[in-house]
Amino acid sequence: MYRFVAQRFLSMIATLVAVSIVIFSAVRLLPGNIIDIMFGGDATATPAAKAAAAHQLGLDGSYPSQYWRWVSGIFHGNMGVSLLNSRPISDTMKTALPITIELIFLGLLIAVSIGIPLGVISAVKRGSASDYLARVGGLIGISIPGFWLATLLLILFSRVFHWVPPLSYVSIFKDPVKNLQEFFMPAIAISVFTLAIVMRMVRATMLEVLSLDYVRTARAKGVPRRRVLRKHALRTALIPVITVVGFEVGVLIGGAAVVEIIFGLPGVGYTLLNAISNRDYPVIQTATLIIAAVFVVANVVVDLLYGLLDPRISVT
Amino acid sequence: MSAASATPAWEAIPRRRLIPARWRNPIGIVGAAIVGFCILTALFGRFIWTIDPNAPDADRLLGPSRAHPFGTDDLGRDTLARVIHGAQVSLQVGLVAISIALVAGTLIGLIAGYRGGIVDLLLMRVVDIMFAFPGIVLAIVIAGLLGATRRNAMIAIGIIIVPAFARVVRAAVLEVMGFPFIESARALGGGGLRIMFRHLIPNIVAPLIVLTTVYFSTAILSEATLSFLGLGTQPPEAAWGNMLSTARSYIDQSVWMSIFPGLAIMIVVLGFNFLGDGLRDVLDPRVGGGIGDVVTKK
Repeated sequence: MYRFVAQRFLSMIATLVAVSIVIFSAVRLLPGNIIDIMFGGDATATPAAKAAAAHQLGLDGSYPSQYWRWVSGIFHGNMGVSLLNSRPISDTMKTALPITIELIFLGLLIAVSIGIPLGVISAVKRGSASDYLARVGGLIGISIPGFWLATLLLILFSRVFHWVPPLSYVSIFKDPVKNLQEFFMPAIAISVFTLAIVMRMVRATMLEVLSLDYVRTARAKGVPRRRVLRKHALRTALIPVITVVGFEVGVLIGGAAVVEIIFGLPGVGYTLLNAISNRDYPVIQTATLIIAAVFVVANVVVDLLYGLLDPRISVT
Repeated sequence: MSAASATPAWEAIPRRRLIPARWRNPIGIVGAAIVGFCILTALFGRFIWTIDPNAPDADRLLGPSRAHPFGTDDLGRDTLARVIHGAQVSLQVGLVAISIALVAGTLIGLIAGYRGGIVDLLLMRVVDIMFAFPGIVLAIVIAGLLGATRRNAMIAIGIIIVPAFARVVRAAVLEVMGFPFIESARALGGGGLRIMFRHLIPNIVAPLIVLTTVYFSTAILSEATLSFLGLGTQPPEAAWGNMLSTARSYIDQSVWMSIFPGLAIMIVVLGFNFLGDGLRDVLDPRVGGGIGDVVTKK
């Protein structure tokens, strides 16, 4: 088990290093020099001013030394400053990261707590009207654009219930009620796709497990139906679903980025999109790395859970 | 019992159907019909509904009426004409992005699966690194860094779909490589290129067709998302995403602007998902259960 954990951990570090190199290169291989873009067509800008700006952004020196400064800076809590307002990026991220993580967590919670029961019902009542409804519903769920669903929810609540969510963000620790009022619509909007995927996956694995011999044996020796479903079948059926959940974290992060814009939640995706429209390279670089890191870490957690739940895996 | 209910002799002989039984898949057929309808709309819609999508020719922010079935937008442009134009944009972006992914992903997967060893290891590490980015976030960053145009959006969407194709193609190639006919082709002196293009590709067509259909829906959704965020097709040209983005500012005055472009996206994506599901049942029971779980195949 320790070996398994260590292995996963090392491969996570390797992936993150590779990811950071990719981001670092992508920002620099762009057509056009960042400093020139910053100064625009300003012909009066002296080379000294440009050099000072480059130094401030950590863009002087060789590429390896720039990379080293960027990465070691992150470990020291120094992520550089925004080009736009000179605000330290680490300050921005300190408020942004909890928002995105809360959104993803809520989205996942909704998706799993509704998707699993629906998938089980669909599998148990295979071929029935409710199964068919669930399957078509699942396909609709993976076809609705999250940002459109968010808009529809806003319309529904403002037109029908005459209620709009509070506009300024509050932390869940300060005012949980207001925080949840603010988060439930974006969380629903991003969860629908994942909910549908989870439901489809649970249905498929449940159908497979229910046809296995040990389930029939359990029924034959007189274990009640519900108990067989819950204790024998569902436990096994959920193991592959966990991997999908890890992948879905990525989908949720993507959905969160878009929905954060709609609801004005200053999360990581919101920060990234603002940075992109302002060509704020230091922020783009760091926000992308943080998003990739959240995704990679979530997948390692999923792998470890998988190892815990499925005794066959941990040997590797 | 009446004579009518008795089975006539000629019915006992199984009729030869035009479409074989395994192709009769209700979800797939509905999907094919939706996709077909969308393609026809994109190709010929502007000849049937001849209002100019960019001409302000009516009152602003109208609801649906006979003259404007989908209403009008903030500048008095006809929403139906703009939705039809958006269909052209979506299908074009989908087609180009999927072509990029299909060509690049198939080549990577083919070479990795055929050569094996260090080549395979290196290529698959690159694919793994691409999977470390959530797809749409990667598309946002690529499109944002390249500059907000439709061409760049197509490139960005193509790139994020490449790894999924590469992985599935590699797995399929490895499976085909195990068959004796590959060994005999090699024994007959077939070179690498010949084996790849004459023997491997024809045998992985089924998963490729399924994958193309399923990821077409991803491409269209991604295009809508990018242009919603202002990173794809630029106004005044109509695309479903940027129409929804504009509609957000007028949500208090007209909800119709927010309804129809979104419905269009949902219906097209649904069509491709239905078709993909049906094709998977018919052609390739091996490839996973839906978008999202194809890529988890390791």
